[in-house]
Amino acid sequence: MQKKLSLSLLGVMLSLLLVMPVLGAETIKIGALYNLTGGMSSIDAPALNGAKLQAKLINEKGGLLGKKIEVIGIDTKTDQKAAATGAKKALAKGVVAGIGYGDTTFVMAAAPLFQKKGVPFVTSGATHPMLPKWVGDYMFMTPFGDDDQSFAIADYSVNKLGIKNVVVWTDNSMDFTKALSKFYKQRIQELGANIVLEDFFMMGDKDFSAQIARLKNASPKADAVFISAIPNEAGLTVKQIREAGLSLPIVSGDGFDTELVTTVPGDKLANDVYFSTHTYREDNRPEVQAFVSAYEKEYGRPPENAFAALGFDAVGLIADAIKRAGTTDGKALRAALAGTKGFKAVTGEITYSRASGVPVKGVSIISVHDGKYKVEEVWFPK
Amino acid sequence: MNGIRNRLIFPALIFCGIGFVALARGTVNEYILSIINFVGIYVILAVSLNITNGFSGLFSLGHPGFMAIGGYVTAILTFPVARKSMFLELPQWLANLQLPFFPALIIGGVCAGLTALLVGLAVLRLRGHYLAVATIGFLIIVQVLIINWESVTRGPLGLNGLPALTNMWWVYLWVVVTVYVSWKIKFSSYGRRMLSVREDDMAAQCLGVNLFQTRVAALVIGACFAGVAGGLWAHLVTAITPMSFSVIMAFNIVVMVVVGGSGSITGSFIAAIIFSVLTEIFSPLEEAFNVYGIGEILMALILILILIYRPQGLFGSREPGVLLARNNQ
Repeated sequence: MQKKLSLSLLGVMLSLLLVMPVLGAETIKIGALYNLTGGMSSIDAPALNGAKLQAKLINEKGGLLGKKIEVIGIDTKTDQKAAATGAKKALAKGVVAGIGYGDTTFVMAAAPLFQKKGVPFVTSGATHPMLPKWVGDYMFMTPFGDDDQSFAIADYSVNKLGIKNVVVWTDNSMDFTKALSKFYKQRIQELGANIVLEDFFMMGDKDFSAQIARLKNASPKADAVFISAIPNEAGLTVKQIREAGLSLPIVSGDGFDTELVTTVPGDKLANDVYFSTHTYREDNRPEVQAFVSAYEKEYGRPPENAFAALGFDAVGLIADAIKRAGTTDGKALRAALAGTKGFKAVTGEITYSRASGVPVKGVSIISVHDGKYKVEEVWFPK
Repeated sequence: MNGIRNRLIFPALIFCGIGFVALARGTVNEYILSIINFVGIYVILAVSLNITNGFSGLFSLGHPGFMAIGGYVTAILTFPVARKSMFLELPQWLANLQLPFFPALIIGGVCAGLTALLVGLAVLRLRGHYLAVATIGFLIIVQVLIINWESVTRGPLGLNGLPALTNMWWVYLWVVVTVYVSWKIKFSSYGRRMLSVREDDMAAQCLGVNLFQTRVAALVIGACFAGVAGGLWAHLVTAITPMSFSVIMAFNIVVMVVVGGSGSITGSFIAAIIFSVLTEIFSPLEEAFNVYGIGEILMALILILILIYRPQGLFGSREPGVLLARNNQ
């Protein structure tokens, strides 16, 4: 009994030691809210790694305003309740800014709390173009808006691929995919192309034979199919469409920015796929190469996806603004962030010049032929 | 003597609670406050599910579905008129309606209860795991409806920018109401009927208990409180989406009831507190060492250990002796 008691006491002491915060010099704290466990973790975990890497690189160069940057990663478990408490937790710890999330619904649970406290929040991956309007003037976006990526691929499909009749497939279970389709349809009609048929599926669907049959029988005959999907369905739809003997071009947005587009169908079938995404994949700007090699050195593997680069950029944006503001005060920092101009981020140059608060940022159009990715062009919003 | 003590203990507990709320609101930061609020909401959920799962033995996984209904109804009713016209396409009378929090919560709870009545009439002919599967089906139907009814619910994006109306007094009020109602039910002939249905429905029926009516009542009462909890939840997070109320949440609440001891109000109450606080306690550890998910693993371990060494749960079906009137002991 005595032994048991002392053992458990030892256990308690040990865990207390572990829980004790790292004591040290004063730091500039940035709260990083990410879903590190649960359904969103494959998108959010790399983003946090990217953010931490940026902080490390800045600290190695001597930090900011004579202090070190500390990125406090908070796991919000793909749960909105945890997102709201996580935001309050970060704010209670006195963070100077918040970053986080690859999905709009989680930003909307956390960012309004930052807005209320007058602390800037920079989302690394959420792309809804109305976000800054909904949250307020302390909300900033690292990626482009969904409207821009849809416009980019719409322009490309009409002007370069010469598409007249298009079929649109939409994942009806997510806001992101619905918004993407909405903007694509809007633009393609403005450009004079027809939408022949609209079809829907749900996240997690495995069999697309019904949609493919309708696609085959569409009249007038479709020149291309636009698929608004996230990575899991991206690979499957390409595979099944090609296996059905259809060779029309498949176009999409950054949901297709995944290895699954080539690995699931195999190199032979991964043909004539075009998608718009962050200017990162297959890009050879020095920022991209430096980021990839630093990431490999730190984590022993190449960056998992563009969200890692976006997390890296979110911290970069804040650090840049702190440098220019010369202070970490919320108001001055917000003003400095809003004044960001031509910031050379890994995912493209970022300037906040639009009233909507969405950055003016290049969008890559990437083609896939025989399983090889290639940057076709970089599209800029007007 | 004992009788007087027992009558006094409940007002004393309520006053202690009021003192605790006042103290907490004055001293701790917003983060801790929000955790306490969520703990309160989980207490409401666990204690109300205990009426359905615990007292009557209906293994329902549909609780988050009722929460979603209550949450959306409350949110739409309290949404400022100006913002409503910006986001939603509602019928005229609803678009111009903005209710205070309390009536909105009540209506939310009633709507959840009415849905439970409809669902219950159809589904409660099933038992055991058939019922569990049917209630999961109900949860999915609710989610799909919310996703596709865009003019009212704004689809998968959900409603956001809700007024932050939920504070600790509201949560506390509903915790007290839920526990009070649940206690009164348990120690009335009505509650005895529910327990008898759970223990042996054949014997209960022989004694003249209307099985179907008792089961439907248990589901509806639980659902009402789930609806209210959904309303509180929505106005605490200030956003609500179809995915907010998932099967995982259903699982978490069921775990609280099972660990507390199905049928025990005190058990559900305490288990709800333990499980909602536990994952937060380990978060500093997770953040310092980059080992995210430890809290969940430990929670699962505790669950397994309790099920092995104390399968009836912490309290079984009973309440601690101090709280009971003598004739119930």
